[in-house]
Amino acid sequence: MSDLRDTAYATAILHEVADLLAKLAADGSPGAIDLRAMPLGPADRARLEEVLAAGAVKVSVDAGGPSEIFETVYPGVWWTRHRNDAGETISEFIEVTDCPQFLKSQPDDIRAGASGLRRMLE
Amino acid sequence: MDLLDFARGPGMTWAAAIFVIGVLWKLVGVILLRAKRDLSEPRNPASWTGLRAILTRSWPRREFVHGTAFSEVLGYAFHIGFFVALVFYLPHVLFFENVFKGLLGVNFQRIFGVSWPYFSGGMVNFFAAVSVAALVALLVHRIVNPVKRLISNFDDYFSWLVTIAPLVTGMLAYAHVGAPYQTLIAVHLLSVELLLVWFPFGKLMHTFTVFLSRGTQGMQFERKGATL
Amino acid sequence: MKGEIMRHDERGITLGEYLAARGVSRRAFLKFACSLASLMALPPSAGIAMAEAMAKARRPSVLWFPFQECTGCTESITRSHEPTIESMIFDMISLDYHETLMAAAGHQSEAAREQAMKDNFGKYLLLIDGSVATGLDGAFSCIGGQTNLSWLVEAAKGAAAIVAIGSCASYGGIPKANPNPTGARAVSDIVKDKPVVNIPGCPPIPAVLTGVLAHFLTFGSLPELDPLGRPKAFYGETIHDRCYRRPFYDQGRFAKTFDDEGARNGWCLYELGCKGPVTYNACATVKWNGGTSFPIQSGHGCLGCSQPDFWDKGSFYRPLSVAHWGNAATLGGAAAVGVALGAAAAYAARRRQDKIAKGD
Repeated sequence: MSDLRDTAYATAILHEVADLLAKLAADGSPGAIDLRAMPLGPADRARLEEVLAAGAVKVSVDAGGPSEIFETVYPGVWWTRHRNDAGETISEFIEVTDCPQFLKSQPDDIRAGASGLRRMLE
Repeated sequence: MDLLDFARGPGMTWAAAIFVIGVLWKLVGVILLRAKRDLSEPRNPASWTGLRAILTRSWPRREFVHGTAFSEVLGYAFHIGFFVALVFYLPHVLFFENVFKGLLGVNFQRIFGVSWPYFSGGMVNFFAAVSVAALVALLVHRIVNPVKRLISNFDDYFSWLVTIAPLVTGMLAYAHVGAPYQTLIAVHLLSVELLLVWFPFGKLMHTFTVFLSRGTQGMQFERKGATL
Repeated sequence: MKGEIMRHDERGITLGEYLAARGVSRRAFLKFACSLASLMALPPSAGIAMAEAMAKARRPSVLWFPFQECTGCTESITRSHEPTIESMIFDMISLDYHETLMAAAGHQSEAAREQAMKDNFGKYLLLIDGSVATGLDGAFSCIGGQTNLSWLVEAAKGAAAIVAIGSCASYGGIPKANPNPTGARAVSDIVKDKPVVNIPGCPPIPAVLTGVLAHFLTFGSLPELDPLGRPKAFYGETIHDRCYRRPFYDQGRFAKTFDDEGARNGWCLYELGCKGPVTYNACATVKWNGGTSFPIQSGHGCLGCSQPDFWDKGSFYRPLSVAHWGNAATLGGAAAVGVALGAAAAYAARRRQDKIAKGD
């Protein structure tokens, strides 16, 4: 019985993930859950990490400090952890999407790169 | 000055002073009354043994238990629950230790070697809940029972109110329910202050006088040769 | 990075362009915006919207006036061991007037201030730290020969909104502590006809100011405020509600001194005077110094520094439940009065008994 109480938050989150994933599968609309919004205990974390284990894709990003993103064993469910330069976690999300916004190259960065590359080749 | 500042400050200072003035006024006023001299020959010169009535009268005689057990049991439930919530809850213990130190000039722990014990918040909450339930049941009985209703007056009802208010407001504050916490705490303190101010002027004085009256009656009967 | 004066050709650029020119990619900015949204308890989708809106925002004109203050609020907000996007945003927006950070001084800085107020009338953000002295018509605190009070009244006319930073600006703070010799008042006591947001704390948490500015840049308005004018996103809960030592409070495990077993085990600090239960702030969740720690985590009870008049609430070490019951003298006096009244009542009763006995 204490097990169920210890992982109550994790269970709630997993149910929400399942709902969002069903929606993504049905009409492609993405969703996200902010893990900072709930006070997760160690048992909650362990349960989430157990169910949403890392899958095929693992990405490390260096942008304003290190960030790690991996697709979980459920395709479409991504776990994002943002850290600052001191290595402290500043935000953590579970995103339900075909590709997290953060992984995509940003239009302004692309434009800046395009003109930069052109300038370098001249 | 907001409500909490008042309740924690001048409100408590005045309530404490009025409580002390009132209790001593009533007690001294009774103790110094002229007692009627008993000119008969004492059957038992050791009339002080009659003080045991304070204990023996704590439970009704077998013949009367049937009619009074309901009120007696609930009365004890209320008193014990109230006592535990008041005396074995850390925030209250800190208050009393501060009073102890202020009046006697030395820490409780320094004299007795240990700090006053206390229960967890959840345990205290349980005792307070039992006390509240008992009080509600006793009020219902007072209203429904025709004899009790007939003999009940303002003192009975108002004393009930100022007794249950600190319990209920205390439980609400503990649960952080109904208003921002500092409002709940301020209201709890104000309800305690109301209790302190009313205390000497109504039946709540039984807290002290019950020992005086039982003891006196026991001694008077013992002198006549009857043991209560 | 800090105190860097914006180049003249940068005056018209957007925040996104400003950051890009300093090597901050849009991706890094997106990460920052999402983290800020998370901090403000906004949904994850708001982070993306905030990044887009803020990147397009033109540098708002911001004037920072220091009144009766200790500069601790400025120190808190500009304190970072390495440049962060937060401090960069702050740099970008606060350069129209800031006495500690701007390079200009004296008459030149006053001229810059007046020009900025004129050019951006009705649109600039006014940031105030320190209380407003009102004694002696405000003469207790002056800059450039003019009182803070007159500056505030004048500048408020053209302000889009006013941010009162720190407990001094929000409530009057330390200068207002008894007996308040300078007649210190809060900004909101003086300005009644413009939106004022209070960011109390002594000092306030830096992320709170950033969050409020981000909200203003994104949505063009101030975030939802509580009855004391504080953004609910950061001041909606008490320290006690989110304190990690709360389980110890519930179990009845309290530290009795600062170095006993309970203190070393990290137990609740209620007995040592912690004011967490009546203090609204984000210290327990957002924490200080980039999320390193906060007073309770470091072993000291909360002082209640984001609440009004926290300096005048008695000792920081007196537990909340220890109400002021008086002292031995007052209760001794009360006892004497009680005994006298009782004796008088008994005397009167005995006199009556005598009269009855005599048959009157």
